[in-house]
Amino acid sequence: MSEYASKDAAAALARARELGSTVRNGSKWSVRYQVAYGCAAAVSMLAIGLLSHPYNVAFGIGFWILALTGLSVYAARQPVARRGFTRWNNGLIMAWALLFFAVLFPGITWFRGVEAWWVPGAMLVALPGLIGGYLEARR
Amino acid sequence: MSDAHSGAQASPGTRSRPGAHPRHGLDEVIHAPVRFSIVATLAAADKAEFAFVRDTVEVSDSVLSRQVATLEKAGYVAVTKGYVGKRPRTWLALTEDGRAAFTAHCRSLRAIAGEDGRGDG
Repeated sequence: MSEYASKDAAAALARARELGSTVRNGSKWSVRYQVAYGCAAAVSMLAIGLLSHPYNVAFGIGFWILALTGLSVYAARQPVARRGFTRWNNGLIMAWALLFFAVLFPGITWFRGVEAWWVPGAMLVALPGLIGGYLEARR
Repeated sequence: MSDAHSGAQASPGTRSRPGAHPRHGLDEVIHAPVRFSIVATLAAADKAEFAFVRDTVEVSDSVLSRQVATLEKAGYVAVTKGYVGKRPRTWLALTEDGRAAFTAHCRSLRAIAGEDGRGDG
């Protein structure tokens, strides 16, 4: 009986691991989500910094709102989110916001239209999404 | 997976009995095979759609509904209904109590299986 129980318990644990693996595979959409988030953040930042006024605000902010709406709809339509993704996503948004404003305020004050500021700045604001996608893919 | 134990063990509130053998640490609500699979699936997720859990656990809608109702009654699963576009969706998630119960249940399973040194299931 105890041998049977032991095998039964081992089988249950194996099943739990298998189901956990299925959930993690079903959560791979978050790699695309985070990479798209990073790329959209970079494009938006470039538009704000390098296009002339008022097209920079119209295109930069408009594109960002469209991208966020699309990404939110994409995320909401997914059947599963791995454990910890909500917290991870909140961290991604906070990191992006910190970097965005750290690049934006000096940029519009001292570096309007200066590629040497805005191109590295765009790469910087893309980093949370790109690094997040990379780490997510490695899970 | 069969659900042969579900009827006999659907008694939330009488989950574990004190005793030396690790089997006393098993949670009677979670122990039923289908419910164990549901909880194991949800333990790896923040939330999962009803259809995803149904397909992953390989049960029918009605079986899943019944088992989820038992888990919800025990306070282990939270059910959220909403819409994506015009389509109604049902989301399932483990509660904090459910997560704690599953962790303890897996600890007991590992003790029974002699896997005490391995990672969490």
